[in-house]
Amino acid sequence: MRDRKPQPKRRQNLLTKEGVTVVDWKDVTLLRKFISDRGKIRSRRVTGLTPQQQRQVATAIKNAREMALLPYPSQGR
Amino acid sequence: MRHYEVMVILDPSLDERTIAPSLDTFLNVIRTTGGNVEKVEVWGKRRLSFEINKNTEGIYAVLDLTSTPDAVKELDRQLGLQETVLRTKVLRREPAKSAVKA
Repeated sequence: MRDRKPQPKRRQNLLTKEGVTVVDWKDVTLLRKFISDRGKIRSRRVTGLTPQQQRQVATAIKNAREMALLPYPSQGR
Repeated sequence: MRHYEVMVILDPSLDERTIAPSLDTFLNVIRTTGGNVEKVEVWGKRRLSFEINKNTEGIYAVLDLTSTPDAVKELDRQLGLQETVLRTKVLRREPAKSAVKA
């Protein structure tokens, strides 16, 4: 009973470290990587971001949503 | 004086060539109060990810300003009154970070 459950790919680790220091809410292609196909914001467990980065990404996504650049989570079921 | 970033979504039925000049008339509010317009960027037509006032598309424009808070507020108010403006968003922008997005 020692073996852990298979963890869904976590290796995305710090995608933001690939050159992006400040998350721009207008950069839709970057932000799209942090939402699921349902439009939900991916959790830190999945994105592997630091708390600060995750917060930046989350606010950026929310700003982008207000301007219809990104979808809101689709309703239903 | 502060740095601001204003994003505007305009009605898609407008002619894209007329947008920069017509936005410019609104920007007089900024200029007359001693502010400065650093950049006017028209993105052109984009699909909206959801409908706004029954429109599936919109013309995006991004303005970079240095201005007093009151002037921006007035600009936002005047834009909002315009029927061709679907939506606006005003954000504070830190000058040091603005260099990131060219």
